[in-house]
Amino acid sequence: MKYTSIALAAAMTFGASQAVAQVEITWWHAMGGQLGETTNEIATRFNASQDDYVITPVYKGGYEDTLTATIAAFRAGEQPNIVQVFDAGAATIIGATGAVIPAADLIQEAGLEFDPEAYISGVRYFYADSDGKMVGMPFNSSTPIMYYNIEALNKAGVEPPKTWEEFEAIAPALVDAGYIPLAQSHSPWIFTENFHSRHNIPFATNNNGFDGSEGTKILVNNDAIKTHFTKVKEWLDKGWYGYYGAGWGDNQAPFENGDVAMWLGSSGSFGGLKNSASFEFDATYLPYWEAITSEPTQTFIGGAALFALSGHSDEENRASAEFFKFLSSTDIQKFWHQETGYVPITEAAYEAAKAEGYYEESPQAEVGIQQLSLASGDNSKGYRMGFYVQIRDVMNREYGRIFAGETDVDSAFAVIEEEGNRLLDRFAQTNN
Amino acid sequence: MEKAQFQSRWMPYLLLAPQMVIIAIFFIWPAAEAIRASFFLEDPFFGNSTFVGLQNYTDALSASDYKRTAWFTVVFTVLVSLLSLALGMMLAVSADRVLRGQSTYKTLLMWVYAIAPPVAGLIGVMLFDQHIGPLVDFAAMFGWHLQIGVDYWDTGFAMIVVSTWKQVPYCFIFFLSGLQSIPTSVKEASAIDCQSETRRFWTITFPLLAPTTFFLLILNITYAMFETFGTIDQIVKDQPGNSPVTLVYKVFRDGFRGNDIGGSSAQSVILMIFVLLLTIVQFRLIERRIHYT
Amino acid sequence: MAIADTDRLPPATSDKAKTKTKPQKPRSNIRLYDHIVLAIGVFIMMGPLVVAFLTSTHDYVTIHREGMQITWGGNFLETYKNVLYQKGGFTGEVTGLLMTQNSLILGIGFAVGKIVVSMLAAYAIVYFRFPFATLSFWIIFTTLLLPLEVRILPSYEVVQQLGMLNSYSGLIIPLIASATGTFFFRQFFKSIPNEMIEAARIDGAGPVQFFWDILVPLSKTMIAAIFIIMFVVGWNQYLWPTLMTTEEGYFTLVRGIRNIMQQMIGADIPEYNEALAMAVLAMLPPALVIMIFQRMFIKGLVEQEK
Repeated sequence: MKYTSIALAAAMTFGASQAVAQVEITWWHAMGGQLGETTNEIATRFNASQDDYVITPVYKGGYEDTLTATIAAFRAGEQPNIVQVFDAGAATIIGATGAVIPAADLIQEAGLEFDPEAYISGVRYFYADSDGKMVGMPFNSSTPIMYYNIEALNKAGVEPPKTWEEFEAIAPALVDAGYIPLAQSHSPWIFTENFHSRHNIPFATNNNGFDGSEGTKILVNNDAIKTHFTKVKEWLDKGWYGYYGAGWGDNQAPFENGDVAMWLGSSGSFGGLKNSASFEFDATYLPYWEAITSEPTQTFIGGAALFALSGHSDEENRASAEFFKFLSSTDIQKFWHQETGYVPITEAAYEAAKAEGYYEESPQAEVGIQQLSLASGDNSKGYRMGFYVQIRDVMNREYGRIFAGETDVDSAFAVIEEEGNRLLDRFAQTNN
Repeated sequence: MEKAQFQSRWMPYLLLAPQMVIIAIFFIWPAAEAIRASFFLEDPFFGNSTFVGLQNYTDALSASDYKRTAWFTVVFTVLVSLLSLALGMMLAVSADRVLRGQSTYKTLLMWVYAIAPPVAGLIGVMLFDQHIGPLVDFAAMFGWHLQIGVDYWDTGFAMIVVSTWKQVPYCFIFFLSGLQSIPTSVKEASAIDCQSETRRFWTITFPLLAPTTFFLLILNITYAMFETFGTIDQIVKDQPGNSPVTLVYKVFRDGFRGNDIGGSSAQSVILMIFVLLLTIVQFRLIERRIHYT
Repeated sequence: MAIADTDRLPPATSDKAKTKTKPQKPRSNIRLYDHIVLAIGVFIMMGPLVVAFLTSTHDYVTIHREGMQITWGGNFLETYKNVLYQKGGFTGEVTGLLMTQNSLILGIGFAVGKIVVSMLAAYAIVYFRFPFATLSFWIIFTTLLLPLEVRILPSYEVVQQLGMLNSYSGLIIPLIASATGTFFFRQFFKSIPNEMIEAARIDGAGPVQFFWDILVPLSKTMIAAIFIIMFVVGWNQYLWPTLMTTEEGYFTLVRGIRNIMQQMIGADIPEYNEALAMAVLAMLPPALVIMIFQRMFIKGLVEQEK
């Protein structure tokens, strides 16, 4: 227990000087470019809002760089107070019991009020434990939605589809109008993870992995998704679907160029699209298969969350708690939402933006929030699986092979299941 | 030929000391940790680990795409090493021969080396972009529809081109420094004894460059094997999908990205042993034939 | 550099060459061939950089939509001014100048440190007979085979235990633990004619004098080449500095470029123009180093022979 002594030492130092000095905490994040500037602005506002605490954000490279830097620092007892960790890394940080102070506990232990109901339902659970207690504080959150080129749909004389059955009905008209009907940017996230949540189908055993890594098995080899991919491959062959590799931008570009009529992307993509697309576009919910369910459920969030790391003094933890509260405040959430396009994480911020008339000028910004607030199901909250970066790699590889005609859907999903389970098994062994 | 040597009981150790101390502290210590980790499955945050014997090794070797990745690594390494060697040598020989504009050529050809790896990757990615890349348009004029990120070998082709592009100046610098070190007298004599420029190159210049060629070959191999994963990561845009990758990219991906410390350590130990054996063989077979003096 | 079979080229050769006629007039077709090869080489090597420069003068939306540009975009002044003077980071300390300074410290510190350490080590391995020479060489060589990324967690722990986090020495010294320099110098020393050392011995020179008076001057070209290579390696470091330093005062240019370029899913378009502009600026100091040191390539050994 390396960090206990450090915590003690830190506690003593601060105990001695606390009367005069402000409590300083650090926050490692992965937000580069304009996002980084907005992130810095939030920290500046927090520091200006009170006199007791000072937060210093540090840009630590990409998501992976940040997580690895944090792991290295944690092992050496040099960890920051708060760190931003991305969705696929959630199992790694949450699984390391004792490394993280759950956000809910942090805030309550600091004597502050914490109301989980204040958070939008699709946001609340992804970084929570199996009892629904929030472990990570969602920070930059988005969810997959469908964008469409209004001009293209008008030209073909069709309406945006709500279901994949409707899509199949309108696709020929779009082809006739000179468009590739559909593309999407992230097969594991949109066509796999959120496919399961939209149709309320279990994605892994042990309550989708939330109950612990021991014995968790991936359930991806099921008929629903295999039918879906069989269909997508058919669409590809018929020219109804464009596949441009596993890279995000390569699939977004043909939509921006006006070659593709509908594109599945992130709810935060509209800001960039406004700059890069020269046509009118709008957005709607992620379609579902009516053949699978007549009651489609919500999707869940991607992006990253903030985690408070253990091993710090009570004063510093209180500072982190105050910062989390500040971050969840309506003003900051509204600011973050409007500045970056990420969804606000609280109902109040959403209502405030709505009251301001923000969605009248940017209707696309609302679609993600609404979709996250749809009816929930047992399997719509997301998943918790370890070594998930590698599992996504296997999915992407096998999907690429399906689309290239190198393998068939049945064998591809058998491979994903087998290699996924092996990775999960390995992860479980790191966790005991 | 044996090198003439000094005799001293303590001096060689004194000379080696700084290098060895740095290596011991900053390489061997961490590397030993990494090798130890290859026999464990480890929780990254606390370092609590479970001994699993050779499981990390068997898991790595039995992954369904290991063979394909290994094969691509071989093709990639051979092509990148030899191409950059050949192009670097060709340019250096010409740069050494011309009189007019020599230093301009030299500066311009070395310049590319200055570029930061992420930028080289970015430029490569933009040139090879499947929708708007000028090189893709160029290839299309010959009926070749490059689709980077979709087609396996098209993507591999882009990786080889960008990685070679970055390594050519490196070879160029060393070949040129090698050529410039050839005494003028030798050059002059050879110009008289041997009229044909091509023959002169193969009978005189090339053997003189043999030591340079040898160490560049070794370094190109380690470059292609161990230092190109950043470029590869940019060309696949962070998502390897069904694109070709090298074994070290897998190590980087699983370890640095996926936090599978044991698994990636095992993969890199396998690779390290393999490359070390390969290098020893090269030293034994090739270096023997090189006349240093 | 290396002289194959010195026996067949006795020292007399050079005299013979000098007494005879100067080399024949270069035949023009060979010269033409060389110029063509070099011109194509320069085109292929420099072309992308020129295009990158031109592209950086456009606005980022154009770059995002249309890709690389081969025309002048007209945003040159605005973009470059921004990159140079804009205060970045949370503390507002991070300017182009500060990042340049850090990169310079890293580049020069690394190159100098590496040359000194590896030259000494290679000298020991090549010019001394001692029991562990071969073993030492192979130990040094293995450092090429395990990239930093694989041993990054234990490396960080070592540096932390030595109290070297957030310091220039912690940034530079661990990077020196790689074999390239020693390997270069070993190869080079091996190719220096034995006659040199014999002659030195006859003159009564000891190992220190031989090193200082003969080996170092002889190695000029090699030192120049290695300085260029190592300076650029140090200059371009990204991962290690990012991990090792938590203060914005240690930001380097490459980290700045990564910061701008970082593409987030669902976010805005990255400011390609600024990233490329910073990349172009980041190339200038290494280019200057190249221009300075490439002069030594001509001087090097050629002078020694006279």
